[in-house]
Amino acid sequence: MKSFLSLLIAFVAINTELFAAEAGMPQLDPTYWASQAFWLILVFTILYISISKFYLPKIKDNLDNRENKIKEDLENANKFKEESEAKLKEYDLILENAKKEVLKIHFESKSTLDKDIQSKKESMEKEIEKEILKAQKEISELKKNSISSIQIISGSIVSNIIENISGDKLNESSIKATVEDVSKKNMNKFL
Amino acid sequence: MQQFTVQRIGPEINIVGVDLSFTNASLFMVISAAVIMLFLFLGSKEKKVIPNKLQLIAEMSYTFVAKMISDTAGSKARPYFPFIFSLFMFVLFCNMVGMLPYSFTVTSHIIVTLIMALFIFIAVTIIGFIKHGFKYLSIFVPSGVPAVLLPLITIIEIISYLSRPVSLSVRLFANMMAGHTMLKVFGGFVVSLGILGGWLPLSFSVALTGLEILVAFLQAYVFAILTCIYLNDALNLHH
Repeated sequence: MKSFLSLLIAFVAINTELFAAEAGMPQLDPTYWASQAFWLILVFTILYISISKFYLPKIKDNLDNRENKIKEDLENANKFKEESEAKLKEYDLILENAKKEVLKIHFESKSTLDKDIQSKKESMEKEIEKEILKAQKEISELKKNSISSIQIISGSIVSNIIENISGDKLNESSIKATVEDVSKKNMNKFL
Repeated sequence: MQQFTVQRIGPEINIVGVDLSFTNASLFMVISAAVIMLFLFLGSKEKKVIPNKLQLIAEMSYTFVAKMISDTAGSKARPYFPFIFSLFMFVLFCNMVGMLPYSFTVTSHIIVTLIMALFIFIAVTIIGFIKHGFKYLSIFVPSGVPAVLLPLITIIEIISYLSRPVSLSVRLFANMMAGHTMLKVFGGFVVSLGILGGWLPLSFSVALTGLEILVAFLQAYVFAILTCIYLNDALNLHH
């Protein structure tokens, strides 16, 4: 390590001698000072004019555009958010109203249906009663008719039987009277 | 020191006895300015809401300088923003271009930095007198100083004010020159120590290159921010 350091120092010495041989600082040689000043002023002026007139306004425009766009987008987002909230409220309201209406319609239809059923039932019952009355009348009429026809039939049967058994013809009116008598006695048992 | 020599390129231009020839220094000024313009052109060409890389860098440099000005000199310095932006970019790109091998560092010449510093100094002084008239001279008389010390302080203030262009120019010039000289010295060590011993100075050289890139940026920043501070003194007179 020590030998390396001494080597380094030796080379530093050699190098500094080399630099010394190159003579002074070129910066302090005034030959091209005027030229450097002239070109510096020229180049910098052109650079300054092009930057201030052309590039900076463009970059500023870009930045402003972006800022405006972001602001606009945020505003829009807020607006849409508010709108959607209002719409949601509206939707909820509509839904609630619809629910109420459904209940109302349900109730109304139920009541009308009940009424309808009731009235139909009543009219049906009336009709049924009418029919029953009519049927009863018919039955009673049939009863009456059937008695007289039964009497006639039984009268003729009786006269036929007697004729066949005795060979005599009996008085029809007396047979009739007997049949009527019997039937009057027994009729109530069957009818 | 060969890297700092100025050589004429092309014909000799002589106007009324003054040699204004195009030199390698002029060439690298032109290259730096061209690179800045190309960079800004590409950075502002597309007006995208979501910027691409180059646009992002251009916009970042814009906001960086804008923030630097508003932080140090306030809103009154807004009209001088293009100048300070140009100055910052020019110094930065001259320094950075100078970092390339075989290139020339424009800002390593005292005459270049001195002209910039003198221009800033004179402009700031003129702005100060335009804005405040003779009241601008109160910059040399700080308030709240005991009457006994006042003459001394005033003299010190005047000297410090007058030495501004010197300190501003020498700072940049010396930093750039020292950095490049160091790189050259270590590069020379690499060659003279050869394959066996050259590795140590080579690693130093690599590290120094990184440091020099940092210094190149830092000196451009310092140059711009000191301009802002001087401008602030001229615009907002409060001592």
